Amino acid sequence: MTIPKLEIVNLRKLFGDESLVAVDGIDFAVEAGETVALLGPSGCGKSTTLNMIVGLEQPTSGDIRIDGRSVIGIPPGKRNVGLVFQDYAVFTHMTVFENLAFGLVIRGRAKAEIAKAVHDVAELLGMSNSLNLSASELGGSELQRVAIGRTLVTKPAILLLDEPLSNLEASARLAMRRELRRLQSEIGLTIIYVTHDQVEALSLADRIAVMNAGKLQQIERTSVICKKPDHVFVAGFMGSPPMNLLRGEITGNGASVGFRRDGLFIGLSSSEAFVSDYVGRPIILGLRPESLTLAAAHDATISGKVAVVEPRGPEAVVTVESGTVSLKAVVPTAERPQVGADIGLLAAPSSFVFFSGETGRRLAS
Amino acid sequence: MQEATSARGSLPSNRLGQLLMLPGQIVSLLVLVVPLVVAFYMSFTDWTPTHGSLLQATLVGFDNYKELLVYDTRFVEAVVRTLLISTVCLALEFVLGLSLAVLFLREFRGKAILFSAFLTPMMILPVVVGYTFWMLFQSNGPINQLLMLVFGSGAGPQWFRSTPLAISAVIITEVWHWTPLFFLILLSGLNAIPENPVRAAVILGATPRQVFWRIVLPMLKPVIIVAFVIRAMEIVKLFDEVFMLTRGGPGTSTETISLYIYKLAFADFQLAYGAAAAFLVLLGTLALIHLLLAPIRNQLLEARR
Repeated sequence: MTIPKLEIVNLRKLFGDESLVAVDGIDFAVEAGETVALLGPSGCGKSTTLNMIVGLEQPTSGDIRIDGRSVIGIPPGKRNVGLVFQDYAVFTHMTVFENLAFGLVIRGRAKAEIAKAVHDVAELLGMSNSLNLSASELGGSELQRVAIGRTLVTKPAILLLDEPLSNLEASARLAMRRELRRLQSEIGLTIIYVTHDQVEALSLADRIAVMNAGKLQQIERTSVICKKPDHVFVAGFMGSPPMNLLRGEITGNGASVGFRRDGLFIGLSSSEAFVSDYVGRPIILGLRPESLTLAAAHDATISGKVAVVEPRGPEAVVTVESGTVSLKAVVPTAERPQVGADIGLLAAPSSFVFFSGETGRRLAS
Repeated sequence: MQEATSARGSLPSNRLGQLLMLPGQIVSLLVLVVPLVVAFYMSFTDWTPTHGSLLQATLVGFDNYKELLVYDTRFVEAVVRTLLISTVCLALEFVLGLSLAVLFLREFRGKAILFSAFLTPMMILPVVVGYTFWMLFQSNGPINQLLMLVFGSGAGPQWFRSTPLAISAVIITEVWHWTPLFFLILLSGLNAIPENPVRAAVILGATPRQVFWRIVLPMLKPVIIVAFVIRAMEIVKLFDEVFMLTRGGPGTSTETISLYIYKLAFADFQLAYGAAAAFLVLLGTLALIHLLLAPIRNQLLEARR
């Protein structure tokens, strides 16, 4: 097996007088040429993780290995890791050329070598014509290009991006997303980037690592993570709208076993391996909005009233309230019901996802 | 709301507002504009207070200006000397102020107390500073006693008897007095520098020295220039300290422009001639400040995006 480009081993970071745990023992590996998104809400420790990989923060414990070698104690400039900041941090007192050349100039490289490297990168990023502009004249997406280019000139082993698209307007964001994907395929960069925007993560990454409260909840291929969340946090975070999560318990036995929450009862097949183990214990039922279909109120799994209908182009998100439970379903716009109508929701038992109410982990099924 | 706006906009209250502002405008006219115009007129006459009123004085055209620029070596020398002292003082104040400011970016014990202590000099009246240093520089004053203690009994010079030493005394006093201003401005500038470009440079492999010279200092440029402009405007008018320390002596060897004009007007009563000199200095200062501001003019005037 080849050595992973980057390995994070039981990484921990405590702040202040060891009271604030920013990163709480995370492990993952990134293969060469792979793009991994670190996804999570603000304050989940994703930026701290990034800062530790690049060397701006020292981990409290654990190890970071690049190409199999530990980089703990190696200063940021010597790790061969590039970081592009959310605000780009372009040197506004310099021209575009000087920005791009910075990494090589401070290493004292020859003028000709610098000029060639800068022109190559400028061409790659489509900014050969703006090399002589002052960086203070540039707009958002150009600044980002400069920030990425400035890093690429030094040929980093790993490129880290901190919220790369969040400061751009919508159209520039799309263009930049295409650009980043092109860079990935053209120069086979290993990219890790931090984001709180799952659309961004889904559209760019090969794998997504979902973090919450300093812990890595799941790292999984992009195509799988929405369908098979390992943890109730991932389930509630991924997808738009995210999975419906119902906290309840397993009751009954034999043929009448099922999920119960207040007045709601959903029958389950007792053949499900975990069901008998969880009778009487708290459990969380996950229902994906896409797997819920509308039906007449009387012959549905769940019946209730339509509370909100949000049209979203070809689809509409329908919020159905049933007792204390509120569920979202994604339906074709043509089939959307009236607000206030009595309606039923059908859910195929095969689409049910269960999480332990105690640990939040997904139960095997 | 609607009523209030219309009432304020209506003619009578508008008049009232203008009426209420009138005294202030008259005062500023009398205090600022009239003397300026009178002095400007005066600079084209040969008037002195001993020869009747200003209106009876003969108009001499540009004679005063010509005299100053062509024949009055004492004036030209004072200008050159003032510029020289200014350059040396500003350079020293900048280097010292920046070094202190960089030092203050770190944490150390007693930082708060030292901060207050370093800022104190600029709060003291220039006259008091001048008088204090005059006493310090006396031939048997504390500075000489200290010098003699360290370098032996021959080390205490007569500070105000030799030109270089007298100028040095002026420069030392001035630097002590105004380095705190540079320190304060540059420290707040350093603190306002965004962190990420600095971190980006570090990640790209820059050493602390390279970060300072290539990133921090260029980003500090507008602040540095503003500090220089503020100080330059003050120091070309240097008067109090020199007056208290040397009165321009020995001879006229430490005379600054302000001191010379003061002597012209109030010792020799050549008010018209002094007025012409003062106007030349005003023009020179204007030109100097605009020259200093030139590199950052666009940056300062540029609208924020």
